Amino acid sequence: MSGEGGVTTGTANGPAGGTADGTTTDRVSVRGLVRSYGTRRALDGIDLNLGPGVTGLLGRNGAGKTTLMRCLATDLEATGGRIRVLGRDPERASERTEIRRRLGYLPQFPSFYPHFTVFGLLDYVAVLKELGGRRKRHDEVRRAMRRVDLYDRRHSRVRRLSGGMRQRLGLAAALLGDPELLLLDEPTIGLDPEQRIRFRDLVSELAVRSTVVLSTHQIEDVSALCRRVLCLDQGRVIFDGTPDELIARARGRVWEQGSRPPEGVTSWRLADGRYRVLVPEGAENPDSDSRVPVEPSLEDAYLLLTGARGSTR
Amino acid sequence: MSWHLTHDQLHQYAAHTADDVTAMSAEAHLTHCAHCRGLLPTDRAWLDRSWADLRDIVDQPRRGPIERLLTSVGLHESTAKLLAATPQLYRAWLTATVLVLAMALTVAHELPRGSLLFAFTVPVVPLIGVALAYGRGVDPAHSLTSVTPLAGYRLLFLRTAAVLLPALALCTVAALLMPSVSTLWEAAFWLLPALAMVAGCLALSQWMPLSLAGGVVGAAWLLTLFLLGIAEGLDPLLLFDPTAQMGWAVALTLLAGAILIRVRTA
Repeated sequence: MSGEGGVTTGTANGPAGGTADGTTTDRVSVRGLVRSYGTRRALDGIDLNLGPGVTGLLGRNGAGKTTLMRCLATDLEATGGRIRVLGRDPERASERTEIRRRLGYLPQFPSFYPHFTVFGLLDYVAVLKELGGRRKRHDEVRRAMRRVDLYDRRHSRVRRLSGGMRQRLGLAAALLGDPELLLLDEPTIGLDPEQRIRFRDLVSELAVRSTVVLSTHQIEDVSALCRRVLCLDQGRVIFDGTPDELIARARGRVWEQGSRPPEGVTSWRLADGRYRVLVPEGAENPDSDSRVPVEPSLEDAYLLLTGARGSTR
Repeated sequence: MSWHLTHDQLHQYAAHTADDVTAMSAEAHLTHCAHCRGLLPTDRAWLDRSWADLRDIVDQPRRGPIERLLTSVGLHESTAKLLAATPQLYRAWLTATVLVLAMALTVAHELPRGSLLFAFTVPVVPLIGVALAYGRGVDPAHSLTSVTPLAGYRLLFLRTAAVLLPALALCTVAALLMPSVSTLWEAAFWLLPALAMVAGCLALSQWMPLSLAGGVVGAAWLLTLFLLGIAEGLDPLLLFDPTAQMGWAVALTLLAGAILIRVRTA
């Protein structure tokens, strides 16, 4: 299902968001979520249900992705509306603690204590996550380090790690305790192509039983991983559906042609000198001689969706 | 290997009934003889557990002296880890505390009425430490730790304890080194104001970030000193006289009660 402007949305399992007997299977349920910073509304009436699987969160900078992630991660209180995470209310302290026991969160810019070792830092986070006695906790830390390929660097100081390694360290911290809800904010920043493939493998594996929310600008990651895409703009959900549904909306609106299109139409120059042109609904593309329709990619569809509100050139 | 342990010898060794000489001899032989090791009855689960324990001992983060000390006095291992990690996170603050106290002491010894500076500085030293112990902007890994189950009051109080204890110890030592101080009681003039200000900071943190709460309380302290300093017939040292100490004790009790109620009703 899809729609424009603050629509009520379905679950990653399907559009219904519940079972026949009326009980909900959603790990995340959000109704009319509002979060304001002063007079500015970063989130403006978000409705959302999420079940198991990977959901991609797309949107421009400032669209509200990180604010939404932080609200779901219990890091930020909502100004209005209702949030239920793993069936609990994050506004209540005891329920918030219970949510945090079952939650993994990778913030957008994770930072660490530089003089800690990799093992020491993850062990510290594992203590904060109440992951059992020392042996059990250490085993869990080792498992997380192996999953992100940092085991060989376990005794290295954090300050000696590269940017990509630090990103994997943040991911390992999020994975501790096998969370039921995993919130990953720009997780592939700084990862090389090989590591990104490993990351996708890992997230696919986790999504079998967990709910994963992936906020990213990397459309390829969304294409590869997500069964469902949410697009945010100015704090509102402007699209909610599968990647195929988003692509379908762009069919017949993506062209390649020899001349540069007029102002107001998103386009870019290709290596062969031709232009790829994304024509928004209702706009005209006057170059009818040389243009050839092409199958849209997810990126085209996303650009058309967001470009319709102030296009690029 | 030209010889092997007999069935009886193996049985006695496994049952721990062999005499010392036989046991040592059997152990030395078993180290080199896979055939005899194969005959030795083993508890696979126990062996796996033992290897895992051994691996864990060899391959775990090195525990520092503070963590070992805290564990040895009976603190739970995870609590000891959290407490021990905190001063590591605030090394710069600890260093600054030592330097500030050393400077205030020097002034107290070298300048006439120099002890006034020490008296007005030392109560805010624990406050600054606590204000910088927890929260976004002062904790580099706050974005990671703030969404863990221990985040919130539990981590705040653990960090407060971890900062407060060394701060109080350093301030006590410094106060004992003051000129004209002869008893521990005389050296403790700053303690109740310091604890009351820390409690005030923690209480205010319900409505604002901890660091800001510390700033507000610290500013209130400076303002009070200033007002007492310019008021005729009043002396800032009144803040430490017996009547004021009673007032500090009452304030501390009330603030501690307010914090307790807040934690219980959260």
